[in-house]
Amino acid sequence: MGAEKKPEKFVVSIGPQHPALKEPGHFEFAVEGEIVTSATARLGFVHRGMEKGTESRTWVQNLYLMERVCGICSAVHAMAYAQGVEKLAKVEVPPRARAIRQLIAELERIHSHLLWLGVAAHEGGFDTLFMLSWRDRETVMDLLEAITGNRVNYSANVLGGVKIDIDEVKSAAILKGMDFLEERTRHYMKVVTEDETFLGRTRKIGTMTLEQALRLGSVGPTGRASGVPYDVRVDAPYAAYQDFPVNIVTDTAGDLEARFVVRIKELYESYRVIRELVDHMPAGELTTRIPRRIQEGEVVSRVEAPRGELFYFLKSNGTDMPERIKVRTPSLCNWGSILATAVGHRLADMPMILAGIDPCFSCNDRMILVKRGNDQTVWTWEDLRRYGIEYYK
Amino acid sequence: MTIGSMLGDIVNSFFKRPATGRYPFVRTEAPEDLRGKVVWNPETCTGCGLCVKDCPSQALELFTLDKAAKRYVMLYHMDCCTYCAQCEVSCRSKSIYLTNDEWELASTSRTPFEVYYGREEDVQKVLEPEPQGEPDLSPESKTE
Repeated sequence: MGAEKKPEKFVVSIGPQHPALKEPGHFEFAVEGEIVTSATARLGFVHRGMEKGTESRTWVQNLYLMERVCGICSAVHAMAYAQGVEKLAKVEVPPRARAIRQLIAELERIHSHLLWLGVAAHEGGFDTLFMLSWRDRETVMDLLEAITGNRVNYSANVLGGVKIDIDEVKSAAILKGMDFLEERTRHYMKVVTEDETFLGRTRKIGTMTLEQALRLGSVGPTGRASGVPYDVRVDAPYAAYQDFPVNIVTDTAGDLEARFVVRIKELYESYRVIRELVDHMPAGELTTRIPRRIQEGEVVSRVEAPRGELFYFLKSNGTDMPERIKVRTPSLCNWGSILATAVGHRLADMPMILAGIDPCFSCNDRMILVKRGNDQTVWTWEDLRRYGIEYYK
Repeated sequence: MTIGSMLGDIVNSFFKRPATGRYPFVRTEAPEDLRGKVVWNPETCTGCGLCVKDCPSQALELFTLDKAAKRYVMLYHMDCCTYCAQCEVSCRSKSIYLTNDEWELASTSRTPFEVYYGREEDVQKVLEPEPQGEPDLSPESKTE
């Protein structure tokens, strides 16, 4: 074989299809024995061309397309989009509609955080916590189904308000559900902060300092677990967060345990604000009229999704279809933190560190077309579709 | 620091029934506001076509047989429908709405997913257009 010996890195390649997470992503971990020395990620396996797709659909139809960017945080996507369109059309949404939007968003946060708690526990080999937290998550799923009529893509929003109303029966069901979930969540908090076998997988694993978090631009609970005091609900209140504020939850440890603690404490905040919303729901209309043609302009709309700051840029050219919609989902901002914190840990910790940011692969896949020279052509939906079919042939 | 902090949950679960439902044998009651199959009422429809225009998944088609006599036929593609209820919101005459009792809509063939609504004779006309029939029933003729 070869005469000279070069010091070679051993690279463990994981994905795109892999048993750890349910979505495709490719990771390469260079290892020295058991210890990871460098990490790279490659994304883009679930690009769906949604931003381009919006340009050939009306403003109303796009509400439902944008809702399907993410299956877990569908309501916040619809809310961010609807708020942007309402800002463009200079329409004021009635207070009751805004309160119901917040209620749905907070219920969704509960379902998302409980889902994550289960997934993260599963990655850590703690399947009892996974099964039981998912069993309890059914409570909030059933509530969402009873309120909106759908279990996953709730379609509660409509341009100019909401479709659904909260009556006394639903309010009572919500309050009952919150009591049960709060009791269970307190139990889970005890488990993730006291159980020795589980702490072995989370304490001082994947630690990210405040400086690192700021440099890497971490958002949401991942950033807040490292002490980044930033939450769109607090810093730039939307919906009814002005009247029903939430308290920002931060931690200083920055390790996986802190991410568990921050998310569970956020659950407590959600239970509290939902009770307040149900008890003091403002009366009034549910919708307001909104024109079909949205006047020319550009707008930025931000909301706090369960995973962090969700950013929407909308541009209208005065017709009934948007000219450009840009979406930046929170998972995209947090990938850097995985690659930075993975170094120095064992290979067996990688699934836990990956799951620690609550990644959502399909939300964050975007495509950029790099053009050489002075090429002025703009790709149509058909061009993009043809390219995709050719690429995967 | 403890070990086996969820042992209590495991032991308790031995004395409980499974959390999963026994669905095909025990049919759970659907919530009152569940969004099920779309139903269209030909008697009140004004033929404005807003439901067709706003449908995000092109699940609705409206055929106009006679605008003056308000004779329309609705073709509902159940397999395309996302149950978002935008058609119900858009309809000004409350002619289209989502039911809460028809939600077991799975099928092994595509045929049951094409649902025609309208007066029986009108549906027949759409399905089997007469050779010299006046209304042009190609999909392009659906109401704007």
